[in-house]
Amino acid sequence: MKFASKFDRRILLRGLFQGSSVAMALPFLDCMLDNSGQAFAATGTKIPVRFGTYFWGCGLNKQLFLPQTAGKDWEITPQLASLKPLQKKLNLVSGMRVPLDDNPNFQHWSGNAAIMTGIAPTQANAFDAPTLDQTIADAIGRGTRFKSIEVACSGIKSESFSSLGGKNINPPETSPMALYKKLFGTGFQDPQRPDWKPDPQVMVQQSVLSTVAEDRKRLMSQVGANDKQRLEQYFDSVRQAEQQIEAELQRPEIAAKVEIPTEPGQMPVSKAVPTLQRVVPLMAKLIAIGIATDQTRVFNVALSESASTIFMPGDSKPFHQTTHEEAIDPVLQYQLTASKFSTYSVEMFASLLKELDSVPEGDGTLLDHMLVLGYTDVSFAKIHALDGIPMVLVGGANGRMKGGYHIDGHGDPVSRVGLTIQHALNMPASNWGKFSLNTNKPITEILV
Amino acid sequence: MRRTATAIGFFALGLLGVSASVGMAAESRHMVQIRRLNEQEYKHSIADIFGPQIVVQGTFEPETRIGGLLATSTTVLSITPSGFSGLSALADSIADQVVNEKNRGKLISCKPKSEKEADHDCAAEVITHYGELLWRRPLTQGEVADKTKLADELAASKGNFYTGLRYGLASLLQAPDFLFRIEYALKDGKNYTLDPYSRASRLSYLLWDSTPDAELLRAAENGELGKPDGVAKQVDRMMVSPHLETGVRAFFFDSLELDAYDNVTKDTLIYPKWSSAVAEAAREDTLRTVVDITLKSDGDVRDLMTTPKSFINRKLAAVYGIPFDFSQEWMEYNFPPESGRIGVLTRISMLSMFDHPGRSSPTRRGVAIMDIFLCEPTPSPPANVDFSIVEDTSSLKTVRERLTLHSTNPACASCHSHSDPIGLPLEEFDSLGMHRNTENGQPIDVSGSLAGKRFKGAAGLGQALHDNPRFTACVARKLYAYGVGANAEDVQPSTFKASYDAFVKGGYRLKTLIKSLANSPEFFRAPAPAAAPPTATKTASTN
Repeated sequence: MKFASKFDRRILLRGLFQGSSVAMALPFLDCMLDNSGQAFAATGTKIPVRFGTYFWGCGLNKQLFLPQTAGKDWEITPQLASLKPLQKKLNLVSGMRVPLDDNPNFQHWSGNAAIMTGIAPTQANAFDAPTLDQTIADAIGRGTRFKSIEVACSGIKSESFSSLGGKNINPPETSPMALYKKLFGTGFQDPQRPDWKPDPQVMVQQSVLSTVAEDRKRLMSQVGANDKQRLEQYFDSVRQAEQQIEAELQRPEIAAKVEIPTEPGQMPVSKAVPTLQRVVPLMAKLIAIGIATDQTRVFNVALSESASTIFMPGDSKPFHQTTHEEAIDPVLQYQLTASKFSTYSVEMFASLLKELDSVPEGDGTLLDHMLVLGYTDVSFAKIHALDGIPMVLVGGANGRMKGGYHIDGHGDPVSRVGLTIQHALNMPASNWGKFSLNTNKPITEILV
Repeated sequence: MRRTATAIGFFALGLLGVSASVGMAAESRHMVQIRRLNEQEYKHSIADIFGPQIVVQGTFEPETRIGGLLATSTTVLSITPSGFSGLSALADSIADQVVNEKNRGKLISCKPKSEKEADHDCAAEVITHYGELLWRRPLTQGEVADKTKLADELAASKGNFYTGLRYGLASLLQAPDFLFRIEYALKDGKNYTLDPYSRASRLSYLLWDSTPDAELLRAAENGELGKPDGVAKQVDRMMVSPHLETGVRAFFFDSLELDAYDNVTKDTLIYPKWSSAVAEAAREDTLRTVVDITLKSDGDVRDLMTTPKSFINRKLAAVYGIPFDFSQEWMEYNFPPESGRIGVLTRISMLSMFDHPGRSSPTRRGVAIMDIFLCEPTPSPPANVDFSIVEDTSSLKTVRERLTLHSTNPACASCHSHSDPIGLPLEEFDSLGMHRNTENGQPIDVSGSLAGKRFKGAAGLGQALHDNPRFTACVARKLYAYGVGANAEDVQPSTFKASYDAFVKGGYRLKTLIKSLANSPEFFRAPAPAAAPPTATKTASTN
């Protein structure tokens, strides 16, 4: 860490507290933190690029979402109708698949994990590598309070598909109130306020953390091979807490003008579709303001678990069960009720995007300065099909991503999307993914 | 009393170097396992160390179920950045409460020379004392020095002794040594066995779901816990403590998968009586029933499957339609035989947990019962199976009729022929656990079978489980796996055979099982070092 390597934190502490005032300490910090990059540069800073994911379980129906034509000027389809206002800012990717090599198809898991890691998973409910959002957060999320923010719209604690690898997930916020408290509760200062100043408490926490981090060497020399990675993850987390605190010492430079929302009250959170339709836009609004005020640059929103059990009140069967048990309409060739759940899932994605696109920032909107991946775990849920999983890439990525395309993947590995995202975010990986999912071909048609 | 404990701890640390467990060369002792503390273990530990007046409010990372137990995942999970930032804030809030004006008189054993400046000796005394309780072993001199230095420096810079102490304590509370249970093993003849301090923790988290108390730590320090009679003495003491109930509740909460209730949603259009308060009460009923049978009456664990006795509060009484005595919060209630409510499986909690929001599911119920009570997990169905045949409610009125169609497909039948005959007898109860005789106007057939035994209805199922030796063997298997952090599916029967035999012989008393397990050498057995430390030269492996 730059800060720690140059100055002993405790010396700095004494300077801060034995010195007369915090106000005096400010220019002092200024000169010390000059090397921390764009967030701290003088006027004219480029707006940082952001990344987000939106996941829903149980797929779409090709009869209802697949456009007639590929390329530009495709006609919006019934299941994507809610995305029409943003069609020029999004690219639909169809026809890509998840080659499993020798691994089984872990139902409602393989597709999800493969898209997020570029690796067909070797076990259920565990990631074989850190998820894409975390790799991206390492590259673009430095210097913000939160490396990433996870949100579980239906309130389930285990519903997050962001991970540093293994069975550990990055725990999600499970209600609008919890998300509000995380982003705008204790520790938050509105960067738009003229009296913004670093909280002296933050410096104290930093020296506590450095004492905790001192145990690293002692424990790492003793730990067995099995637990080594886990202990390392713990100490990485400590380090990240230190970085987070470092970020809190700097006033974020922001280009948007936003109103900090007031705390949402307690509200029901559940898997019932009408409840979700109320919760998702609220969560989205909080995320948008959180990003606009540079509290984080990466977010992951999960509408539901992978085998989605969202349901309509009064109808006894949730989404997942419906996909398996509902008969395929002989004329229309799809399941009538299951397809409605898919449409609701896309509509809620649209409501998230709408919030992101409604915040003006610089010469455009937040959405123009980010890239959002909307994805699901299967194409046809009834048979857990992994060929033709629909994915949607939305946002201009600071001018690096075109919009308005429908890309027909022709059976290519889904990892092409992950690689494309990295290129759009200025992370020029030459290839990404493992085994049959390894690819060196980003989707160049949509990259600027 | 606290002062004495501190003094002894410090004395031993200084003079003996706590020879057996801390600070010795790596060849005599190796780290075998680290287990992440779960939310309840954390809360119980804090309450036992600092007292129940300390408010513990924060978010904890979720566990995941491996081999039927959440406890097992604590041996593979770590702490993520967002998890740590929550725990770090929580550590600070706890430390702040410990030193605040209200609590410091009781919790801080010494008074500083001046409140406005650092007092090294007093800070060291407090850190030594709480360090041992929090880390479940005495701190080394270097560790005490590090934390005290932090406290002293911050006391000086903030001009307040207690503020400095707060951060010293906060650093203990967010250290890996508190947030994980770090287990060490020693060579014991040809085998490896846990060192006394690790034994103290294993015992206390199994029996009490909490941290070792001063007496256990004392028994670890003088080596008593390294010997069978020393262990026996401590186990006897722990078995009669009221904390045993906490430990038993924690085990059943985990092994009965009662956490699943956190994610249960019912469709309130179909089940208007459902609410989260009902869910919470139903879960509590199950735990009270378990405690009543296994501890209060020291009864036969198998009675869980046949007991008519339940614990009802106002909410549950309303759902069950039972007159409630408002003079108390909870009342005992014996269901009459004609209610069909025989055993814990027929209460709202177990019936509503493994269902869909608006519909009962004999398959999910059957799968859950096999997994939870018989230790027989069911594999996932094939990926491309066509279920639409079981959908048709117009010609196939009952679930039984629809499920029977599985037998036409051998791939389905191999599992459904096990799970469904266990779930179907419970069809006399709907997804909320309400009694019913018909489904879509058709009378419900509640016949079922388990391991070749045929029976009718929930009462028949309860009796069949009661009589099935796999049920009691499963309790013993899971208790062992829960205690040591192993995957119950991989556990060798030899590891819990002695305790299981004692359990059978003692009339299936849970206390006999716990006591026997805690006294068995297998409970403390540890694997040989997994890999040679990087600096050591490789010698012939004894593996």
